[in-house]
Amino acid sequence: MVGGLSKKQAIEEAARCPQCADPVCVEGCPLHIDIPVFIRSLREGNAAEALNKIREANVLTGICGRACSAPCETACILNEEKSPISIRALERYAWDHGHRRQPIKKSSAGQKIKIAVVGSGPAGLTAAVELVRLGYQVTVFESLHEAGGVLSYGIPEFRLPRKILGAELEYVRSLGVEVRTNTLLGPMMSIKEIFETGYQAILLALGAGVPKFSNIPGENLVGVYLADEFLMRVNLMKAVQYPNYGTPLCLGHKVTVIGRGHPAMDSARTLVRLGKEVTLVHQGTEEDIFLKAEELAQAREEGVQLEFLTRVTQIIPDEQEAVAGVKCLRLDFAETHSTAANGWQLLPVAGSEFTLESDSVIIAVGHRPNTQMAFWFKDLQMNKNGTIWTAKNSFMTSLCGVFVGGNLQAVGPLVNAMGQAQKAVKEIHDYVQTQVPKNVKRVK
Amino acid sequence: MFKILNKQLIANGVKRMDLKAETIARRARVGQFVMLMADERSARLAFPILEADARKGTVSIAFEETNVSTKRLGNLQIGDSVPMVVGPLGMPMSFNDVRKGNFIACVGYGLGIAQVLPVCRELKRLEYRVLGIIGAKTKRSLLLENQMRLTCDQIMITTDDGTHERKGFVTGSLREMMSHYRIKLVVCSAPVMIAQAVAQVTKEKSIRTLVSLNTLMVDGTGMCGSCRVKVGGHNVLTCVDGPTFDAHEVDYKDLTVRTQHYQIQETWHNPSSLSNLRSEESSTLTRWLGDFLKSKP
Repeated sequence: MVGGLSKKQAIEEAARCPQCADPVCVEGCPLHIDIPVFIRSLREGNAAEALNKIREANVLTGICGRACSAPCETACILNEEKSPISIRALERYAWDHGHRRQPIKKSSAGQKIKIAVVGSGPAGLTAAVELVRLGYQVTVFESLHEAGGVLSYGIPEFRLPRKILGAELEYVRSLGVEVRTNTLLGPMMSIKEIFETGYQAILLALGAGVPKFSNIPGENLVGVYLADEFLMRVNLMKAVQYPNYGTPLCLGHKVTVIGRGHPAMDSARTLVRLGKEVTLVHQGTEEDIFLKAEELAQAREEGVQLEFLTRVTQIIPDEQEAVAGVKCLRLDFAETHSTAANGWQLLPVAGSEFTLESDSVIIAVGHRPNTQMAFWFKDLQMNKNGTIWTAKNSFMTSLCGVFVGGNLQAVGPLVNAMGQAQKAVKEIHDYVQTQVPKNVKRVK
Repeated sequence: MFKILNKQLIANGVKRMDLKAETIARRARVGQFVMLMADERSARLAFPILEADARKGTVSIAFEETNVSTKRLGNLQIGDSVPMVVGPLGMPMSFNDVRKGNFIACVGYGLGIAQVLPVCRELKRLEYRVLGIIGAKTKRSLLLENQMRLTCDQIMITTDDGTHERKGFVTGSLREMMSHYRIKLVVCSAPVMIAQAVAQVTKEKSIRTLVSLNTLMVDGTGMCGSCRVKVGGHNVLTCVDGPTFDAHEVDYKDLTVRTQHYQIQETWHNPSSLSNLRSEESSTLTRWLGDFLKSKP
C-alpha cells in the first residue's frame, strides 16, 4: 500500500500544481472541493488551514483521503502528461497533520428542526453532517450493529484502517449527529412513524441494494461467495479470527475472483493478505475495468493474477458439491457485420476453453435494488425496475418530505454517492425552509 | 441491549429464550424471523419467531446449540442481555387464497415444530381448521407437544423410534390425514430431507405446500447474498424474498448444499457436538445399564 506523504514530499507535490484559473479538478470532483486553494495552503506548509478548506465541502476527509476513487486526478490538467497531482494523497496529508477535531461552523437556518437520515454509509454520514452544518437536528438510523455502512463492512482494512473510520465517526458524532444502530427502517419503524415522532424530513441513503447473481452454473456450490458476503464476513464479522469470532469462513487455497469493480478488487487483495493464490477474471479488456491503473498496478505487485478477455462458463463441482475448478473461455475482438461498435465485437475464441484450478470462487457482478423495499415502504411509489420513484431532476419521492440520496438510485463510486447526498441535502433544505410550517416543534 | 427474561430447556438440546424487545414484539407477523447476536464477537444469527407477545413486549426464539455462536447464546442466563436484535425480517406468510373453515395441515419435525406453532396459532385465529402433524427422532427431542395439542383441531404425533405415540414418519401421518380430510394447504417446516419428502407427498395430490427455509445468513436484510437458494429455477434470497416458498419449486439438492456450507468447520470447533450430549442414541452407560437390568432374571 501507498504510505502517507512526508512534509517535504507534500510541499513538493503541492508546488507542482499549476493553480489553473479555471480548475478542471474542481469540476471533476462530485463534492466540488476547492482543490487549488487547499493545495496553496499546503504549499505554505499549513495543513490545518488546508483541512478546514476541504471540510467546507467534504467532512469525511480522512475517509476520502484514502478510499476515494479520485476523479479529480483523472480530470487534472497534468493527467495529459500522465503525471497528475496526487490530490488524494495531499488530502490524506492534510487530514493526518491538520487539526482533526476542530468543530465546523454551524448556521442557524435550520432552527434545530429534526431530520432523519436512514443509512450510515458515506452518503448518509455526509448528508447528516451537511444538515448539521445547516443547523438541523439529525438522527442517523443504521440497520447493522456498527455504524459506517459500506465503510465498515465493504471497504477492507488495508484501504481504510478502522482506526481512521472510528476517528471520523467519532468526529461526526461530536458535531451533534446521533447514530442509532440496530434500527432497520421498514420492519422496525415505518416512514409514517418517523414523521409522527417529530421528524420533518427523511433522507433514504440505503446504498446500492442486493447483489446481482451471475447465473453461472454452479453459483451455489460450497466455496462460492458473492463479494459482499465475503467482505462482510471478513471486515465486519472478523471471520478470519474464527472461532474467537463466531462467523466461519470456508476458503480453499486457490481462489478465482470474477468481476471488475472495487468489490472484486477489494476481495482479491484481501485474499492475498489471507495468503491465498488469487486470479481475477474479467471478460472485458483492461481499459473497461472500473479501477485506476495505479490500483491495478498495486494489485499486480501484490501477486493478484489478472486474466482479461476471459469469460467464466462454469464452476465445476466435485463429489462433495464443493468447487473443483473453473471452466473459462477466452474472448477476442472479431469483425462482425453488425453496425454497433464499428463492427468489432467480443466473441469467444474457438477451442480456447481451459480450466482454472481453484478451490473457491468469489463473484462480484454488481447490484440491483432491494426487492423488499416495496414491502417495507408501502407508501412510496416504486419504478418498474424496483427503484424508488422520484420526480425528474429531483430527489423527492412520491411522499412529501421523503428524499433519496447516495447510491440508491444510481450505483457509482463512493465519492459520487457523497455528491448525490449533498445535492439531496440542498433540496431538503429548500423543502424544509419553504414547506414546513413555522409552528412545528423545535428541539431546544 | 435486549434483556433475557426467560430461558428454558424445552426438549433435548433445544433451548427457548424470551427477549425483551417491544418494537419487534408489536410488529412481528407470522412467518418472520429476527437477527440476533449473542455477544460482540458472535455471528449474526437468524431465528424464526416462536412467539411474540405485544403486551409483555417479548420475542421468543427456540434454538439448538450447534455452533460456536449458538453455544455462546445458550450460555447466557436470565437477566443477561444480548447486544443486538433486529427484526421482524422477511415476508410474512399469507393465507388469503384459502377460504375460512378449510383444512390446513401444518407439518413440523424436530426444531421445525417451533416454526410451525406460531403458524398454527395464527391459522386458528383466522378461523381455519388446523391439522397438526409433528414428529421427532425420539420422545426426548419432541418439543412444544402440549402447546401444539392445545392449538390444533386434530393432531398426529410420530417418533422415528416409536418411543412416544406412534412409530413412523411425518409423511406417513400426512398421507393418513390427506385420506381423511380435504386439505387445501400444507405448511411445512422441517430439515431438508423431510421437507423434500413432504413436498413429494403433496405433489402427488397437487396440494399447495409452503415451506419455511432456514438458510445461513449474515446480515438478514439482503445485502450479502449468503442466503441464496434456487427456487423455481433461479436464485432468490431467503431473507428478503422468503423465508416461505412454494415447496414444489424449491431445489432441495441446492438447499442441502447451501445449508451445509460450514458443517466441517462448525463440527471441528464444536467438540461437544461430536460427543453423546446431543446425540439421539442413549449413552454408553445407559445402554450398559439397560442391558444389565434386562439380563437379570
